Amino acid sequence: MNFRTMQAANRRKTIGLLIGMGVLVWVVVYAALTYFGSSTAGIVSIAVGIALVSVWGSYYGSDKLVLTMTGAKLIQESDNPKLFDLIHEITIASGLPMPKVAIVVDSAPNAFATGRNPEHALIAFTTGILDAMDRDQLQGVIAHEMAHVANRDTLVSAVAATTAGAIAILSDMLTRMMWFGGGRDRNREGGGNPLALVVSLVILILAPLAAMMLKSAISRKRESLADATAVAFTRNPAGLRSALEVLAADSTVVQQRSTAVAHIWIESPLDAKSVSKLFSTHPPIAERIAVLKSMESLG
Amino acid sequence: MKTILVLGVIALIAVFIIAQYNRLVRLNITVDEAWSQIEVQLKRRADLIPNLVETVKGYAKHEQSTFDAVVTARAKATSATGIAETAAADGMLTQALRGLLAVAEAYPDLKASTNFLSLQEELSTTENKVSFSRQFYNDNVRSLNTAVKTIPSSLFASLAKVTEREFYEVENPQDRNVPNVKF
Repeated sequence: MNFRTMQAANRRKTIGLLIGMGVLVWVVVYAALTYFGSSTAGIVSIAVGIALVSVWGSYYGSDKLVLTMTGAKLIQESDNPKLFDLIHEITIASGLPMPKVAIVVDSAPNAFATGRNPEHALIAFTTGILDAMDRDQLQGVIAHEMAHVANRDTLVSAVAATTAGAIAILSDMLTRMMWFGGGRDRNREGGGNPLALVVSLVILILAPLAAMMLKSAISRKRESLADATAVAFTRNPAGLRSALEVLAADSTVVQQRSTAVAHIWIESPLDAKSVSKLFSTHPPIAERIAVLKSMESLG
Repeated sequence: MKTILVLGVIALIAVFIIAQYNRLVRLNITVDEAWSQIEVQLKRRADLIPNLVETVKGYAKHEQSTFDAVVTARAKATSATGIAETAAADGMLTQALRGLLAVAEAYPDLKASTNFLSLQEELSTTENKVSFSRQFYNDNVRSLNTAVKTIPSSLFASLAKVTEREFYEVENPQDRNVPNVKF
């Protein structure tokens, strides 16, 4: 597979996963209505509303918000002309505008990209990654981050987070209702199929888990897509591959281990062992290296 | 009812034509922009050369033929017009610069000088920018030419006054496949 077919395949899978999210929301709403009766319709819109406001607020201000959450500091061209040269090279290769650049003082090598659109993009690097990598490796990392910008991954993850958030809030509210005798509606409507009620209840309890898993799966697909797009920019899979090898060999992790921003880094900041594969925001690094190696052999 | 249906179909067709037309025009503009990016980067590289030649001359006086090759290639590159001519001159200059930097390898004092090191970094990033701008241009020419040749967009090419564009092909075929030029 070359990078073009990789890009197309990853895009298709993201769309499939987003459709899965939509189906999940529908199933949850259906289950809620079955279990509690139609009076819960209002609660559904409240949950979706809360999720929309919170996630889209952070999406709109993502560049500023992430700066404060990660402690990154914006830098100017004069602070690191060599880094700016490398970034400028990728803007030429990708046709994207020049992003804002920030530095996180942290010895763990890592990097991330954010911003609601290419015009408001921000890419950040830890001091560790700038020290650890040579020109080609850093170029691969920059291409990966700019690929996130080009693929609008902040938008994709905002959509995923909104639906996952709405499901979580909804499930939480309904579980509370259950304790306070939410079943009254059901009795008024003359009961119903008990099997359907049990299934609905199980769905309501498991839905947040399923939503989290889908959200993580989307995040993993976007990482693979960004790797493929990075190669489309540099035509040099070896650079990114050896950068990932450096990251794989390095055992230090970025200090703040907030799960809220885990998905934005190039390498997951959470300890790999503590996160099971289903909930991981990143594909295993060895898998990513293998895919890039297969692209190298194509020449 | 019937008139609404007919109007609806006409509106749909109009939207389709406008979308096809705009896509072709947009692709054409992107190719123009990509071309001017190549010119900007080539000019940047040409501007670096006098300084680089002077610096190397300071340490390696007896390499006159190499200097001449670079100066001639640079003159050709700056006066070239049109895509084919510019690409040919670009390829020649890239070769000549490689020769110059190969010469520099033989002079340890030169290689250690900070002036040369900063010029070398600037030249390698410019060389990358030149090859990335070529790559971006050729990718966009490829999309444009595909649109001009394939149905349905091909039907609107003459309406949008968009024709196939020329690829930017550097003489040395390796230059196109390897964007990262190492010095």
